[in-house]
Amino acid sequence: MISPETSTLMTLGLYALASAAGLAGMTMRSPFWRRMGCWLALAGFACQTLMLILGFHKALPSGLSLGAYLQMLAWFILLCGLSVWLKLRQEAALLFAAPLALILFAMSTPYLSVLVQVPSSLKAPFYALHIGALFLSLGLLACAFAAGSLFLFLEGRIKSKQRMKGFWQDMPALSMLDKINACTTLTAFPLYTLGIVAGLIWARPVFGSTVSGDPKEVISIVVWLLFAVLFHNRLANGWKGRKPAQLAVFIFLLCLFSILVVNTFMETHHAFIQS
Amino acid sequence: MDCNIFLVGLNHRTAGVDVRERFALVDHCDEEHWALPCVDAVSEAMILSTCNRVELLAAGTGDLSGQMLTCWARAHGAQADELRPYVYIHKNLEAVRHLFSVASSLDSMVLGEPQILGQLKTAYRKAVDSHATGVILNRLLHKAFSVAKRVRTETAVASSAVSISYAAVELAKRIFGDMRSHTALLVGAGEMAELAATHLLQTGIDEILVANRTLARGQELAAQFHGRAIPFEGLAGRLTEVDIVITSTGSPEPIIRARDIRTVLKARKNRPMFFIDIAVPRDIDPDVNGLDNVYLYDIDDLKEVVEENLANRRDEAAKAAKIVNEEVESFARWLGSLDAQPTIVELIQRGERAAREELARTLKHLGPLDEQTRAALEIMVNALVRKLNHDPIMFLKGGMPGEGGAARISLVRRIFNLDKTVCSCSGKH
Repeated sequence: MISPETSTLMTLGLYALASAAGLAGMTMRSPFWRRMGCWLALAGFACQTLMLILGFHKALPSGLSLGAYLQMLAWFILLCGLSVWLKLRQEAALLFAAPLALILFAMSTPYLSVLVQVPSSLKAPFYALHIGALFLSLGLLACAFAAGSLFLFLEGRIKSKQRMKGFWQDMPALSMLDKINACTTLTAFPLYTLGIVAGLIWARPVFGSTVSGDPKEVISIVVWLLFAVLFHNRLANGWKGRKPAQLAVFIFLLCLFSILVVNTFMETHHAFIQS
Repeated sequence: MDCNIFLVGLNHRTAGVDVRERFALVDHCDEEHWALPCVDAVSEAMILSTCNRVELLAAGTGDLSGQMLTCWARAHGAQADELRPYVYIHKNLEAVRHLFSVASSLDSMVLGEPQILGQLKTAYRKAVDSHATGVILNRLLHKAFSVAKRVRTETAVASSAVSISYAAVELAKRIFGDMRSHTALLVGAGEMAELAATHLLQTGIDEILVANRTLARGQELAAQFHGRAIPFEGLAGRLTEVDIVITSTGSPEPIIRARDIRTVLKARKNRPMFFIDIAVPRDIDPDVNGLDNVYLYDIDDLKEVVEENLANRRDEAAKAAKIVNEEVESFARWLGSLDAQPTIVELIQRGERAAREELARTLKHLGPLDEQTRAALEIMVNALVRKLNHDPIMFLKGGMPGEGGAARISLVRRIFNLDKTVCSCSGKH
């Protein structure tokens, strides 16, 4: 049986290679290395998926372990990056997703040994739906963040009549970045809503009330409200370009804060390490 | 080197357009009207004649430049002295270097422009059809084409736009990506705007609309771009259906203002718009650039883009020059191996002769042998000779012709006694 450390190391290695090849491809403006980066990211993703399917991943059933949480998040981000790559033929999405997955993976390694037994209350289908839908929406939001950040940078340069140098010249056009941002956020919002609703339904029998004023709940509702503003304006008011990009970037940063600060350092039902 | 390569030519730097016109050889480089006869010292030749350069490339023995210059001048009923002040002459490796630079567009008026490679290929094809090329020029020209390809793939010398109209189209692609689902509007009929529209058509743009104060002129232009003419008066209302607007009217006042565009954007549901204002005075209010999803470039902005791109190409040209130098060295090695060819042939013949003699002597001593053993012995002796010759041949082929090539040949000839006796190795066992 492969240990969680070995499986993590293999996936980590492939993500590291994918990031390095992607970075080389972008800085050297080499299509070969960019393509290589995409295929290595795909290999890393396949490796991680295989480990999950075969159950080699001891960290997975812990549910509340920060290591497992970050690794699953990396998997979902890669899944979304792959979807954008395959659907819109944009290598950039995967090349940005790979380093993000690498960082999350690297961050997960110290926490892999902390194995927390999953309480029986967390095995309800609504909990799985809650976590699955939220992870997928976070993965999509990470893609929206990458596309939005790139859009803001490139648009700024075009508006201010500054020249695109080096690998910036190979980046997708503004319309494509806006399209990636729109597709990902419009898909992510219903999933996020589903995740939140599933969480609220599951919380009632487990914690005794639907809303308990938990810090994670509060920040999640704030994220949902901002997400709703973005979703509504995209669809109803035809928001395009800078405004939705800025909002998507802000929402993702808020989600990161929620994961890295609220889940780790605050008293909450969602804390990774529980005493 | 017995065989010399000469390149005699003039270009936009050495001669004005009147001289280039006078001494052009456009009509003298096909089979019927070949200007440079491949007789006497000139054994191979090629003529490149474009609007910016006329160049004669030849390979042969001795100093060919005088003969080339005379033939060239005579083709125009002139004396060589009339041509001489405008001409540059490159010999051997300098000629090779110059040709590689020309093929890579490093010597062009617009650095990195792609046409010259096509012109060079056409010139070479004509020379081949005229049976004017041989081993050296064939190899040289094929090498020049591969150098040009290498320069294009390994450097950015030809990557960015260096004309205002093309720079505008490149920017449009940066905003919209795929142009096939977008529409452009041409307001006014300036030369540069027309050029930009031509480039837009090449990107596969969906449709071009033309608005001109004179409708007839607008219709004429629209027909040229397979587009539609629209009345100038209804311009603001039509902006909702176009993504790219190119203006070049003679209007003293802006014809498109920021407040108009705000309304247009609402109607377009904020789909992005790109305005290219080539007019002076400007046709579009500069405040338009401050609106979300609207991008405005005027003639000065585009000029700056072009200047920066040109500077970038100049930087890349230094990298390209390194590639050219590497390839010149590689070609020189091949040329050097041509010098050594007679010595290599003699060395091989000497070895084979010695092998034959020694084999005959040995077979006589051994008495009658079956065919199989005899063949095996023959194979072994020949293989031995080939192995022994391998290192001296590599020694002869290595290095540059100018770097002691003659000394290397002389050394090998002395060691193997190639200049004295036919074979002195038939001594006793």
